[in-house]
Amino acid sequence: MDILPILAALKRQKTAAALIAIEIALCCAIVCNALFLIAHRMEASRIDSGIAENELIRVATAGLGNAENPGLRMQEDLRALEALPGVRQAALVNQVPFFRSSWNTSVRMARDDQQSVADVGAYYGDERLLDTLGLRLVAGRNFTHDEIVTFEGLFAGEEGPRVAIITQTLARTLFGDADALGKEFYPSETPARVVGVVERLIRPNISEDPDFTGLSMILPIRMGGGYGFYLLRAAPQDRAAVIEAARTKLREISPNRIVLSATTIEELRSSYFEEDRVMAGLLVAVVVALLIVTALGIVGLASFWVQRRRRQIGIRRALGATRRQILYYFQTENFLIVTAGIVLGMLAAYAISGWLMQQYELPRLPWLYLPVGALTLWLLGQVAVLAPALRAASVPPATATRTV
Amino acid sequence: MLKMTHLSKAFRTEVVETYALRDFSIHVRQGEFVAVTGPSGSGKTTFLNIAGLLETPTDGQYELDGQDVGRLSDDARSRIRNEKIGFIFQAFNLIPDLNVFDNVDVPLRYRGMSASERKRRIGEALERVGLSARLRHYPAELSGGQQQRVAIARALAGSPKLLLADEPTGNLDTQMARAVMQLLEDIHRDGATIVMVTHDPELAARAQRNVHVIDGQIVDVGEAPRLHMNVSRLSA
Amino acid sequence: MFRYYAWLAARSLRRSPALTALMVLAIGLGIGASITTLTVLRVLSGDPLPEKSARIFLPLIEPRSMDDYRAGDPPSEHMTYPDAMNLLRAGRAKYQAVSTGGAVVVQPPDSTVEPFMADVRFTSADFFPMFETPFAQGSGWSADDDEARARVIVISQSLNDKLFGGADDSVGRTLRLRGNDFRVVGVLDHWRPTPHFYDLIVGNYSETDEIFVPIDTGLDLEFGRRGTMNCWDDATDPVRSPNCAWMQLWIELDSPAQRAEYEAFLVNYSDEQRALGRFERPTNVRLYALPEWLEFKRVVPSDVRLQVWLAFGFLAVCLINTVGLMLAKFLRRAGEIGVRRAIGASRRQVFSQFLVEAGAVGIVGALLGVGFALLGLWAVRQQPGDYASLAHLDPTMLGTTVLLALLSSLVAGLLPAWHACDVPPALQLKSD
Repeated sequence: MDILPILAALKRQKTAAALIAIEIALCCAIVCNALFLIAHRMEASRIDSGIAENELIRVATAGLGNAENPGLRMQEDLRALEALPGVRQAALVNQVPFFRSSWNTSVRMARDDQQSVADVGAYYGDERLLDTLGLRLVAGRNFTHDEIVTFEGLFAGEEGPRVAIITQTLARTLFGDADALGKEFYPSETPARVVGVVERLIRPNISEDPDFTGLSMILPIRMGGGYGFYLLRAAPQDRAAVIEAARTKLREISPNRIVLSATTIEELRSSYFEEDRVMAGLLVAVVVALLIVTALGIVGLASFWVQRRRRQIGIRRALGATRRQILYYFQTENFLIVTAGIVLGMLAAYAISGWLMQQYELPRLPWLYLPVGALTLWLLGQVAVLAPALRAASVPPATATRTV
Repeated sequence: MLKMTHLSKAFRTEVVETYALRDFSIHVRQGEFVAVTGPSGSGKTTFLNIAGLLETPTDGQYELDGQDVGRLSDDARSRIRNEKIGFIFQAFNLIPDLNVFDNVDVPLRYRGMSASERKRRIGEALERVGLSARLRHYPAELSGGQQQRVAIARALAGSPKLLLADEPTGNLDTQMARAVMQLLEDIHRDGATIVMVTHDPELAARAQRNVHVIDGQIVDVGEAPRLHMNVSRLSA
Repeated sequence: MFRYYAWLAARSLRRSPALTALMVLAIGLGIGASITTLTVLRVLSGDPLPEKSARIFLPLIEPRSMDDYRAGDPPSEHMTYPDAMNLLRAGRAKYQAVSTGGAVVVQPPDSTVEPFMADVRFTSADFFPMFETPFAQGSGWSADDDEARARVIVISQSLNDKLFGGADDSVGRTLRLRGNDFRVVGVLDHWRPTPHFYDLIVGNYSETDEIFVPIDTGLDLEFGRRGTMNCWDDATDPVRSPNCAWMQLWIELDSPAQRAEYEAFLVNYSDEQRALGRFERPTNVRLYALPEWLEFKRVVPSDVRLQVWLAFGFLAVCLINTVGLMLAKFLRRAGEIGVRRAIGASRRQVFSQFLVEAGAVGIVGALLGVGFALLGLWAVRQQPGDYASLAHLDPTMLGTTVLLALLSSLVAGLLPAWHACDVPPALQLKSD
């Protein structure tokens, strides 16, 4: 199909052609960036926490008054929960991923260092925590019973823990490529020796920066004094029953207390990313709406052009143009306009991306989204123009001989 | 009524300048019925466009109803078209979306008349063309002859000083054409000034006076019977 | 003439229902999306204390140790208990109140109702007059109550409904919190400052607290705390430690002169504490007016701003789409336009006729847009997030919707109407 005559014809209706091109450009720019944002959100919400997410339950309680010895009470509760049918492991802990409460500690390489090396998510728990969380130890060992210190003791001014288990990310931050096992650092005034390294454990305050998110450590501190909550591990299918049983059991042990919440970590994760999901859903809706509106716009304008050129089409047909050639004519015309729009749209997409980078600290739009956006709009244009083009192709040659 | 002196109209393209009218002079008096004839491309449509103030002449003078109208603004020309000229088109040019009543109403609306005045005029005009019974019909529901009569009613409704007709029977069969022509003659007899452009000598013969245009110039002006012969000779 | 144009527009629009529906739908969708997001943005960036927010200030001082010190860092956003109480007792402002959040178990008087957790605000007497909290019953407590660590509380309207069935004689009643009896001295009327400015940690747009208690009373009885606590040196009793920052002090000042005075006072105080060897870092004080603080903390979620941009981008595409379709629709009637011009319509008359038609599309689009906006806001209210329930269309936004739609469609109609009135008067209905 010869392009030059089509261009010449387009020049005669440049306003309408330009409008479609601008619409395509805007649509392309928004769609490219929206798709990227969707992917970005989805990726963020798929983050690997490092724990046995689908087996864990978090149970939080609160007392009605000042108990005699809250620390002791918590240990009793824990033993009772551990004994529930279906519970594989149980532990006390101060925080879990996906719950919006975080404990953070600045760690130092020497006691008198004024600058800390890293701000680290600090998990407190005894020797039960590692297995309950389902962490994968890549080097070293778990805590031993005599390494555990108590939370109440820390409050009373006792010495801090002497050992720690850290994530690979933290090991790299603290000790570079060297073997972290046996090395010391300062999570408190007391130096702690690394006895174990786990593959991965994210902190509750998830950030855009994966290195920050992965900076976690476990300190051998048994929670008490009314702080902390119970973490139960059970087979996925047993979780609902375990939650019910735990509620009943805790009430049975002491009616003088309320169960604040008993939820699976999966539920916590789901609500943690709910806003991202909503935003992604919204973006999908906008992308779909944009494409539909644009497609209908193309159908409308193309139909108008076909109607306006009926006589001209009839003359072409009378002069020997085949139906296919007429069809191609309109398809090529659409392709040219959409291509112009796409070229403009790519520039606009990059401009928007630059602005988003500034405003929302997003990474630069990966170039891969540009061909995806272009392909989408080319396809959209061809699909949209098909019906009007077919109508054009079916204009009878006799139209040429009719006046008006 | 209508007076053109040394009028010319040129169409310029990048390379050539072609004259559609050249040194064109004509005088139509009040109450006259003039037919302008000529072959295709002779310039008679350009003449009609300028006479109807749809186009402006390149050079020369055009006086309508005692007013120099050759160099007026677009708005002023619109007003004169609305108030002084009635158009009758070959293709009727009724607005398909509007019914008979509303079509005749169009020029009156632009004149800003009161509703009762418009209603009266529309009624009279449609009565005049014999279509009072078809107020609510749409153009598509009427025959060609009826459509042209609606168009004539539309032209008459504004009581113009000058009626311009462009091949008024061109799209009609013989019988309908005759009826429409009869109507124009009746209107003329009632005192209207009519200028009609046609290539049909038989039709032209029914006008009071004939003007023949070839290559943008008037070649012959005469009373109808003489012109009839001239045309026969020219076309032979 | 306008009525004639409106009549013509209605006929023309009815004649091609599909095209009209498409244009109206596009405008309606674009407007609906824009208004929905604008409404949310407007709610979220509202002024929590419209009458006096410019007179409410948050003073900040720098109590931290030299650990991880970097010159130019802004001061700590929270105060230690000792500093907050010192400044409170100094009483240099018209009003001053400490504030921090917590939670406590409530044991309802009706024993059939299960005990539950309620949000608590630890504060001091001036909180109520300073923030002009509306009282349904009673009032706040006095500075003497603060000093005496009195067991008095103010409760919210919703808690009064929940515990006392909305009774109007709740003042003087006793409520059991974490095993201790408290006397109700006041019941608030509905009060939900948006954003939740006096504690952004518990949530920028969260509901107002349910129980207000004198700070020392709450701390003595070990009510649960909520919020950030930042400790630097060892702290055996973090809550009252001079080494843990976790509270805020809010003050009211009447004039710029008072602001300058108070700033000087903060500098003085910091210098003094440095001289005593307590503060290690260089003196670094700030005095944020409430609007400045909200700006500094970027309380409006960035997603909401992004949604506004997205919606307007969408509206732009919808409008361009409508311009194209109107252009097509108008020029399809080039023949009619030519005849109208020949019959004597002026350019302006043709222009007006088509602009009225565009405006008609806009009005119907606006109506649809309001519908979509209501639907959109309803959808927003079904979403999670503590601000969702606040998303309602108010009269201002309703007016904005109609204006935006009309403006949009007139702008959209401008180009097509201009092209339409450019059609020359003609004797022939041209088909090509």
